[in-house]
Amino acid sequence: MMYKLALRNVRRSARDYMVYFLTMAVVTALMFSFNTLLFSRDLLNMFETAGIMEVMIGLATFFILLITAWLINYMVRFILEKRSREFGIYLLIGFKKKEIARLYIRENLILGAGAFAAGLVFGVLLQQILMSVLYAMVQMDYHLHLEFNKNSLLMTFVCYLFCYLVALFRCKRRFKKMNIHDLMDSQKKNEEIKESHERGKRVLLPVSLVFFGIFGLFLFCYKNWNTGVLTLFLVGLVLVIYLFYTGVSAWIICYLREKKDGMYRGNTLFLLRQFSAKIRTMSFTMGSLTALFTLALLGSAVAFMFNHFQSEILKDKYPFDVQINSNDPEDDFRKEMELLEKEADVEEFFRYCIYENGTNQVNTWLYTHLRIFGREYLKEDNTPDFEKIKENGAYCDLDTYMCLSDYNYLRKMLGLYEISLREDEYAIHMKERVVLETGDFSGEIVIKGRGQELSFAGYYTEGFSQDGHNGGDYVIVVPDAVIKEMRSYYAELAADLKGEAPFGLNDKLDDLESEGNNYNAQGQVMTEEASEEEYWEEEELGNSCCGSDTIVVYAMKNLVRDNAIPEIKYMLSAIVFPLFYVGLVFLCVALTVLSVQQLSDSAKYKFRYQVLSQIGYSRGEISGIILKQLLWYYGCPLLAALAISGVIAVYTGGKFNFYAGIKTPGFMYFLISALFFMGIYALYFILTYIGFKRNVEK
Amino acid sequence: MIRICDVEKYYGNGTQVTKAVDRVSFTVESGEFIGVMGASGSGKTTLLNMLSTIDTVTAGHIYYDEEDITELSEDKLSEFRKNNLGFVFQDYNLLDTLTVEENIVLAMTLHKKGKGKIKKECDDLLKLLGISEVRDKFPYEISGGQKQRCACARALANHPRLLLADEPTGALDSKAAQTLLETFTDMNRRLGATIFMVTHDAFSASYCSRILFLKDGKIFHELIAGENGRRAFLNEILDVLSLTGGEFQNDV
Repeated sequence: MMYKLALRNVRRSARDYMVYFLTMAVVTALMFSFNTLLFSRDLLNMFETAGIMEVMIGLATFFILLITAWLINYMVRFILEKRSREFGIYLLIGFKKKEIARLYIRENLILGAGAFAAGLVFGVLLQQILMSVLYAMVQMDYHLHLEFNKNSLLMTFVCYLFCYLVALFRCKRRFKKMNIHDLMDSQKKNEEIKESHERGKRVLLPVSLVFFGIFGLFLFCYKNWNTGVLTLFLVGLVLVIYLFYTGVSAWIICYLREKKDGMYRGNTLFLLRQFSAKIRTMSFTMGSLTALFTLALLGSAVAFMFNHFQSEILKDKYPFDVQINSNDPEDDFRKEMELLEKEADVEEFFRYCIYENGTNQVNTWLYTHLRIFGREYLKEDNTPDFEKIKENGAYCDLDTYMCLSDYNYLRKMLGLYEISLREDEYAIHMKERVVLETGDFSGEIVIKGRGQELSFAGYYTEGFSQDGHNGGDYVIVVPDAVIKEMRSYYAELAADLKGEAPFGLNDKLDDLESEGNNYNAQGQVMTEEASEEEYWEEEELGNSCCGSDTIVVYAMKNLVRDNAIPEIKYMLSAIVFPLFYVGLVFLCVALTVLSVQQLSDSAKYKFRYQVLSQIGYSRGEISGIILKQLLWYYGCPLLAALAISGVIAVYTGGKFNFYAGIKTPGFMYFLISALFFMGIYALYFILTYIGFKRNVEK
Repeated sequence: MIRICDVEKYYGNGTQVTKAVDRVSFTVESGEFIGVMGASGSGKTTLLNMLSTIDTVTAGHIYYDEEDITELSEDKLSEFRKNNLGFVFQDYNLLDTLTVEENIVLAMTLHKKGKGKIKKECDDLLKLLGISEVRDKFPYEISGGQKQRCACARALANHPRLLLADEPTGALDSKAAQTLLETFTDMNRRLGATIFMVTHDAFSASYCSRILFLKDGKIFHELIAGENGRRAFLNEILDVLSLTGGEFQNDV
């Protein structure tokens, strides 16, 4: 009998709390599909950096578990409260508290199992979508195939069960404290609005707004951020998010008390009262929802940043099919060329050298002027700190030069037009990001050749592999006659392949190098110790560098573009995917709470709308009131979250663009994220509106 | 004047049909305080609901002057309710999120009156019903009698042609009930409000000027208050009730 009763109650709960049921199914589906990324054998075999994805998804899972357990706990408590009268009747007819607790837990477990099963079906579909997106992101073909991984299923199940058990454990205690009268009575209670010290509380609204303003101002203008200031602001922000709602509610109450003109217009009075009553009793929940929305928005904005980075920047970062570096300027790359010819279809090779003339004025200028380095390489008296400069590996010890003919040959390989220089001219090829920051600094450097000062002919900023291959950040291009006076600094090999490079070519090139390293010039096997010594010798040469990029630094001696880009993209996906994952779950959880609150109110306070109908409101007018009421209720935490996350995201976006060298305006990521966010928001809103109207009109 | 002509209301479908109101006809004159009495299930609330446009008739017509409200569309009905009717219910039906004053103001804002006019009329009503001192209180903070008087004030806010009251004293103690009924009489006499009250309490009914007795959906008797005062009218009502088999006896 109990089982039958539980089943019937589950059916009713699933119908009444459809949004909750659906959200739990969506959470299961998300968990299952993202867990697949952890255990997919294909991915583990394909990428060296799969460990990063594991760590990031694991971290995301931790936060998701917390928030899902909170949602279940919230809903278990909420449904318990709504059904208290029913439980009172059970007690009245002789059920024991223990039996009712067991019945309720059983109901919840059945409901959970239902959502889990539904979620798995949807999860299999979502898994395919997710894998297709991931493969598309890393530029690989994905063939649809069901991967019902046991580990992934088990992990999803364990996570899910953990959330339920944590939530239900507390539920038993709640049953113990109940008595029949309270249970039977609690449903009858209407909203009891206790208004006290509203004038005082009203101040909280301007205080929170001023704090938000100061926070925004500090974020953009304050330079000396440290842990103390940051902690202070974060604690303040969290506090202010919660106090904001108390302030809004108090402000509305004072507005109505002062009988301002607005309250006599249209439905304002009813709407303001409904709204203030709701956010007053729910200020803590509203604060929590705003915090969740803010995190979700920020998560997806950062995810969009990295996503944009990988689609925009990577192709410029690695323009050559193959690029190989050697610290030995005499290296003829014989072994590498043999391997490439064996493994791939090579169109052409081009071996060339980067040169130095014993100066390091450009390096010094960049170390002391780029914002990324701050004042790190400046002494107190604003002169360069050469000791420190020597220790940094962003640039080589000496300035890097290239001769015009080599430069033009490389440009031709990339399909770019050739440039010409007079005998007394030089040009600089530099990363666009750096040029945008420095502007023209040719007036502050002196480049000499053949005994005379060369004049500056211009900057070139096309993608040119400047993470240590064609210089770090920059290379100075001089006429061939000038280069003859300089010394070879290191050697480079660029190769153009027909079609795509085979999978694993990069690894083979790396293996070749490590094999080579174990032999000395005479072909004798070296010990590990000797090999290490050679590494330090290379370091002594000071002719390796990686440029000043910070977001993605993939400075490799051997670079096969078709191997490196998927690897980097996968690495970036390890940031993008978990952020979306966390953002989505947070968003769904918060929206479920909002939705369930309103739907349950629509059933409990149906009489309010009946009264409106009795005093002459038409059905259309009541629908209008419901729509406005929901818009206010959904809009308030949305606007607060948009404002807070907007400021942070625009600031972060600006910083990200600065370091990554992207020209897209910083607010774009936030805008895309907000649109994506509001799409899901609208979906929940429409579902709630339809449900609300149905409940009222029933 | 309101004319109720052969109104019928059936519930149920196919095999099981319940006649809640069975061919009822009567008229309500302007300025009249009319009461309807009957046992539970006699159809009195159904009749009130049809009169108040909350429920539809199965057959028959209800005319407010020359306007047949059974023919009106849903939108026109709500417009009609807004302009012509006021409601007082047993369970007050006040909006719990609004203060006493705001409950009254809300009804007035529907008529798009100006702020000054709303404030003045609201003050007058609060004074008239003796609830000025609780104007800023929420419904849960005041007594049942005060709540019901607030509901009355709201019902009167837009000067309705007809005030409909469904067991208005049902949830009140005897003192509060008496005050409310005196208020009704006062509103009827001083403001000329037409009141249609449904009750099963003889004491409440004795305040009316005319009473219709309903049984099994039909009017079976009618009493008109004479010149002999309320006590005599109450005895007449009790006599009618005793004739019907004493079903109401316990309630008196």
